[in-house]
Amino acid sequence: MQEIGKIGVRQWMILVILYMIGTTMLIIPSSLATETKQDAWLPALIGIVAGLLPVGLYSSIEHLYPRMTLMEMNEKVLGKGLGKAVSLLFAVWALIASSQVLYYVGDFMNTHIMPETPIQAFHIIFMLVVIMGVRLGLQTLARSAEFFFPWFIALYLGLLLFISPKIKLDNIQPVFETELKPVIRAALFFLSFTSLTLIVLLVLFPSYINKPGEARKAFFWGSLISGVMIMVIVATNILVLGSDLTARSVYPSYALIKKISVGNFLQRIEAVMAGLWFITLYYKIALYFYAAALGLAQTFSLKDYRPLTLPLGMIAIVLSLIVYPNVPYLKQWNTEFWLPLILTIGLIYPLILLGVGACRKKLSGKG
Amino acid sequence: MGSIVWITAAVVVIMIIEVPPLLNNGMKKELWVFGILLLLAAGLSIAEGLQLGIPNPLDGIAVIFKPFRDLLFGLLK
Repeated sequence: MQEIGKIGVRQWMILVILYMIGTTMLIIPSSLATETKQDAWLPALIGIVAGLLPVGLYSSIEHLYPRMTLMEMNEKVLGKGLGKAVSLLFAVWALIASSQVLYYVGDFMNTHIMPETPIQAFHIIFMLVVIMGVRLGLQTLARSAEFFFPWFIALYLGLLLFISPKIKLDNIQPVFETELKPVIRAALFFLSFTSLTLIVLLVLFPSYINKPGEARKAFFWGSLISGVMIMVIVATNILVLGSDLTARSVYPSYALIKKISVGNFLQRIEAVMAGLWFITLYYKIALYFYAAALGLAQTFSLKDYRPLTLPLGMIAIVLSLIVYPNVPYLKQWNTEFWLPLILTIGLIYPLILLGVGACRKKLSGKG
Repeated sequence: MGSIVWITAAVVVIMIIEVPPLLNNGMKKELWVFGILLLLAAGLSIAEGLQLGIPNPLDGIAVIFKPFRDLLFGLLK
């Protein structure tokens, strides 16, 4: 037994919401605005609806192999040798992905809040907290998520409330001006940062949740709620900043918060609002990292994943310093290679699992 | 050189935290995986500290996924 505690359905939903919002809210408005200008809310809307498909896919995989984690499925479906190899690759990818998100923390702090502190300091301190959370286990993570969630919602609603006087409806006009292909591209891009990354959560869904049936429903609702929250932020970005400025900033949502000025009195609250990113980025990194540690432990059938967390954390810190040499590289890599990568991991790979599993079930049923 | 001292200190602290419980419980396999990972972590950190230029894994991913990317964006262009 590697993880003894189980988490509740509501905690699971909160984890899904925080995980999915993660980096997305901070960076996606810029990519969407680059592709579709003032219609950026449209691909987000399409993305939310289309995003229910991967969620349904993951749920049906879980239906086919009840009470199993992703690593156990791999071994059962693909055979022992190949299954272990795939699990190992998955764990390595999850570790790289966690370090990519960690880079966002460091880069964001370094460019916007504390420019003179070396970036390594942010990475090390943030990673230490992540390791601490992951070592304490899934239950602790889930409970802390439950605790932070009201704060997160309060900050989010506060942001929308305080920014609303600055909304200019001219910014989203003319509507529906974009052609079809950029919209599809942008919608796929939206998916690649939201629903398709939920594959990582299959390492704990649903074997670590106490009511699997309700967990499936919570999975749908969680992805839907966070999708809508992201879409509202995208729309607000366009409405306040305009598509041009949104497309040109690296962290448009932060530029958005800087605009807050209520009666020339309530101003410069962006550092408080940055709490939004830290909460969601934390759960994004923690769940990626948790998947990496647990996946590695299950691949080698170890009794406990905790001894692996500290060395893996060290590797993640080093990786986070080298994965993105600079911001242009980040933008280029994210637009060109993240989509094919996550389509392979989040769509083709579960489809193979589902297909092979269904075939085997049919064959064994006949025999 | 300062970075090597700090990395060694971190490795020693990690070993002090992790190794005794693993030895006491006789978890040999865990100890092996832990040791290999820690060695890898120390090696990578020192290489990064000395700025030896570790190859970027994202470049590797980019090479592997280039055909798929060309196909995908060819369809969507």
